[in-house]
Amino acid sequence: MNVRKINTYVDEVLTEGGRPVDPPARSAVVVAVIENPWAGQGFVEDLAPGIDATASDLGKLLADRVVEALGGPVEAFGKAAIVGLDGEIEHGSALIHTLKFGNHFRSAAEATTLLPGVEKRAGVGTVFDIPLKHVTDATIRSHHQTIEVRVADAPHADEILVGLAAAQQGRPQARLAPLSSEL
Amino acid sequence: MSAQVRRICTVVEDLVSELGSPVTTPVRRVAVAAVITNPWAGRGIVDSLDEEIADVAPELAHQLTARLVDSLGGVDQVQAFGKAAIVGQGGEIEHAGALIHTPYFGNLLRELTEAESIIVFSDDRADAGASLTVPMWHKMHAATRSHYQTIAVRVADAPRADEIVVVAAGSTGGRPNARIGDRSSDPVVRLADLPMDRFTNETLESVR
Repeated sequence: MNVRKINTYVDEVLTEGGRPVDPPARSAVVVAVIENPWAGQGFVEDLAPGIDATASDLGKLLADRVVEALGGPVEAFGKAAIVGLDGEIEHGSALIHTLKFGNHFRSAAEATTLLPGVEKRAGVGTVFDIPLKHVTDATIRSHHQTIEVRVADAPHADEILVGLAAAQQGRPQARLAPLSSEL
Repeated sequence: MSAQVRRICTVVEDLVSELGSPVTTPVRRVAVAAVITNPWAGRGIVDSLDEEIADVAPELAHQLTARLVDSLGGVDQVQAFGKAAIVGQGGEIEHAGALIHTPYFGNLLRELTEAESIIVFSDDRADAGASLTVPMWHKMHAATRSHYQTIAVRVADAPRADEIVVVAAGSTGGRPNARIGDRSSDPVVRLADLPMDRFTNETLESVR
């Protein structure tokens, strides 16, 4: 795995809707910009060797960093893969849609649910949203939220940007009725 | 009135490789951005900005620099620094400058980073989600060329028209592959000494 850069974003929301959020709502994102393991190889039929060589190491690196950056219990989480213009979306999906990638984060966050994700192909500096859901019950409505991310100089055409997101809480000022109240 | 802070965003950039090869000196760059209510919003042209500067800027500088130093790994790790502000469309560029260009902000940023240089900056008036490139240079010797560098900062939903995004930035080193010399090693370069056939007459005429 060839990493070019690792960016960490920490967001603290102190007011929302004009009212204080106390304690401040805290979320974190870590993205690694890596060389696309299948770059320059044309259509690769079997992605498994590349997945085996990359996904677990990448998942561990990002999980450790995002949990540290958040600095507290992870209540909601999500993931992202943004493939540079010369790659396939399948390449990004290959790296994040495997237990080899996600289990590091699930274990660090004491999570049991699947990670919601976003995957797309885009040019350098694209803006993307990472969806987050609750780590043990994906139906908990208060924790449905997104974090917007942009890395100014990534992904290059032969790169993939892979990210993990974590939040210590649901939406600031969440006040919607729970799903169970509508069933 | 103290600073009305809506959110604080920190970006940490760890540069590991460039063009496929590990960099000579891995570097961490950090920018911390606070989104605050423009203290002069909705008041037209306010003649003296002094009172709000003294009220708001020190607290902001302290809050931003504390996070900056922490993310860089301690004050000893801070080698370069910079500052910036983006004012929303309902404000003046002067409002952005007011919060970063006085001693109430700059002196605190310098003290808390144990620095001596003047602080390089950028500013802009822009819509929410604008990206601003924040320059940095050496915290002790501004002319240190290896430490000329930038970091991009962007807050998705700020500044609103009545807000200002205020930024403090820093780095643990210079550019990761810095190799363009310094003032001490520069040759003397003068137009008169360069081969004239490299320039068109038109170019020379317009320069004169």
